[in-house]
Amino acid sequence: MLITRRSTLRAGAAAAATLALPHVARAQGARPSVTVAVQKISNTNTLDVLREQSNVGERIFFSSMWEGLIGRNWRGNLERIPLLATDWRRVDEQTVELTLRQGVKFHNGEEMTADDVVFTFSREKMFGDTEPKNRTTIRADGLGLFTVRPGKELPPQVPASARNAWPDLIAVEAVDRYTVRFVNGSPDVTLEGRLSRYGSNITSRKGWEDAPSYLDWARKPITTGPYMVESFVPDTRLVLVAFDDYWGGRPPLERVTFVEVPEVASRVNGLLSGEFQFACDVPPDLIPEIERNAAFEVQGGTILNHRITVFDKNNAQLADPRVRRALTHAIDRQAIVDALWAGRTVVPAGLQWPYYDDMFIADWTVPAYDPALAAQLLKDAGYKGDPIVYRLLNNYYTNQNATAQVLVEMWKAVGANVQIEMKENWGQILEPGPTRAIRDWSNSAPFNDPVSSLVAQHGPNGGQQQWGEYSNDELNRLCEVLETSTDRAARRAAFARALEIAEREDPAYTVLHQNATFTAKPKSIQWKAAPAFAMDFGPGAIAV
Amino acid sequence: MLRYLAVRAFRAAVTIALVVTFAFVVLRMSGDPAILIMGPEVPPEALAAFRRAWGLDQPIWVQYVRYFGAILNGDLGMSMRDNRPAIEMVAERIPATLALTVPALVLKLAVGIPLGVWAALHQGTGFDRAVMVAAVFGFAIPSFVLALVLVLVFSVDLGWLPSGGQGTVAHMILPVLTLGLGGAAALARFTRSAMLEVLGRPYIRTASAKGLPWAAVVRGHALPNAAIPTVTLVGFLVGSLIAGAVVVESVFSWPGVGRMLVVAVASRDLAIVQCILLLVAATMVTSNLVVDVLYGVLDPRLRHGARAAA
Repeated sequence: MLITRRSTLRAGAAAAATLALPHVARAQGARPSVTVAVQKISNTNTLDVLREQSNVGERIFFSSMWEGLIGRNWRGNLERIPLLATDWRRVDEQTVELTLRQGVKFHNGEEMTADDVVFTFSREKMFGDTEPKNRTTIRADGLGLFTVRPGKELPPQVPASARNAWPDLIAVEAVDRYTVRFVNGSPDVTLEGRLSRYGSNITSRKGWEDAPSYLDWARKPITTGPYMVESFVPDTRLVLVAFDDYWGGRPPLERVTFVEVPEVASRVNGLLSGEFQFACDVPPDLIPEIERNAAFEVQGGTILNHRITVFDKNNAQLADPRVRRALTHAIDRQAIVDALWAGRTVVPAGLQWPYYDDMFIADWTVPAYDPALAAQLLKDAGYKGDPIVYRLLNNYYTNQNATAQVLVEMWKAVGANVQIEMKENWGQILEPGPTRAIRDWSNSAPFNDPVSSLVAQHGPNGGQQQWGEYSNDELNRLCEVLETSTDRAARRAAFARALEIAEREDPAYTVLHQNATFTAKPKSIQWKAAPAFAMDFGPGAIAV
Repeated sequence: MLRYLAVRAFRAAVTIALVVTFAFVVLRMSGDPAILIMGPEVPPEALAAFRRAWGLDQPIWVQYVRYFGAILNGDLGMSMRDNRPAIEMVAERIPATLALTVPALVLKLAVGIPLGVWAALHQGTGFDRAVMVAAVFGFAIPSFVLALVLVLVFSVDLGWLPSGGQGTVAHMILPVLTLGLGGAAALARFTRSAMLEVLGRPYIRTASAKGLPWAAVVRGHALPNAAIPTVTLVGFLVGSLIAGAVVVESVFSWPGVGRMLVVAVASRDLAIVQCILLLVAATMVTSNLVVDVLYGVLDPRLRHGARAAA
């Protein structure tokens, strides 16, 4: 008999049907604890929000550990909500003033004050020696001169990521004990969005000062979330324990333990045997196998991340935009969603999300599936059938290989000769050269504005242009408008035009589908997955 | 004997230098650690800052000379993921790996050798055939399949043992069984073949013909001579104690050197990979050296041959 992953799991699911419901660790009268099996706890082996900027990081950080002044509603549609700040207002186009929530305690027992906020956004903790765009206006308070404490040197990627998130922040001022002001060097309508983004979360000054070294701090950061770090063994286990002085109420769980289980079969087996209460990163093809057991269900769905296919317009075959346009029109995206995702995700309206509010271009769509038009565009471009190389990683993204094979067949059907070249890592994917033509990527929106997605990845300072795959003068001018203009109508028009250029006229990429993540759990646990990687175990979020 | 050991020690040093060089070339030429560690979605400025900080923006030969020079000075470098000395991090993982591989080695020896000897002494019987069928099965089944089957039976179905992780003795049972059963099967086949070859030799017939009891023939003549090829295999098994559990550690989420190696290779954390490879090479070379010495102890002809050559 051939033993495959599928048959093995099917056998496991059948066997587990004979078991009682999973046992959740709970002493009599005490709160329950849960164990969450994840593929990876942290890529960088730290719990620093500025060093670990990843999807897996989002899962363990929010909302258990880290909190920002402005939050995102994990139980809703990720809209902005007051968190460590109770309200905020615009002083002018460059300045936001926030009132801090009183009585918020850090995990070390200290009260959070404006001093901690100023420290969090200081050079010592965040920006290092990087400079904002308008460096002549740097102020001494907050972001001015600083001294690095011995052992507390920031890893170089921390200030770089911080400056990328806050390119022109020139000062954070404590107005009084519970009031702070964020001052930007130039007008910026996205300051509130940047305050809600991953990485703008508050830590305790004393917690930093008491830690012997950066690494000690980064493995046990002192924050304000409902759970605090009890122990962290990189690549193995992260144990969070309830923080009973949490400002938002008593955490419902005694402990949340994240265990790293790289193999999906092992995660599912551990769930079925009752060792884990949550198994994360379940691929769509395993969902029916798990749900065949009536005691379990798979939660989750679309997240703020789109799977895209990126073009290198400097490639000889792709230089003519009509060839790239042809490739975008040859894709039946809904067929991919139905066949490979069992309809559990969607084809979005291009590189944007409805939570952009007034910046969401509602009538925009991805290029229509039109094989006849695709074939005509190839013909018009004089494409002779020369090979176009598609550099592919082995399932870095869910369903990546299968999607690539489907795409190649769809492109073949309209006359495009796209050939897959398997690569082992991102360095090989991005290596410049005449064969770099098509590759896969994804794009997230850390806050609700196109600056966080289209501009960040495809604009003049984004990866695609920095790696020499793409450039478009008009698009770059529009990105400047999006970053600096305070005229919302002008910004909206600029975004609409930017989408038109990047997705239709001179395609930089094409959106395939929205990404989704799935988590398996026993039905007996009352919990709802957020539309994000984040796992909310805060007060009111879970009942076991 | 001293020259014999010196030549082998020199070969060992050259082997280790080649391993280090090969690993450096393969790892550094096939991926950029910055993007592998930080991911493709991080800002380009962060990637550039990372490369500057770790000297990855220098020409490859400059990086190699620096790296090799540091190794000669006993400095195995810092992990790019953790910013900690690689040797310290690897050393932290060794006990966990040995906690699996040493009991597994004992299991392999305790099961494989007696079964192989017994099967050879009862060649052609039902027992022999059963042992060989089991050995072929155990040898052929991939360790990750065996691991999943054991988990399904003992964790999911029966609920007797944990499906993964580390903590108690119960957590060790399935990984040790997975490692041990496959190795025992190989050892049983190898020992049986060696024994059968020796049992067919004229000196065994001579010993029997001169009236020695069969048990004494086996103990005094067959086993020592059959031990030589078996010792070679055991040498390899001992040599693989450090990194012989890569797959099993991944399936059982066991935080040992094997899993660390997988993560380090994927992220091109060069110092960690080099440190583990050096450790594995050193263990393997030392183990082979000991096996070479044991050959001389077990077989006087080799000992005298070495002396004559000297």
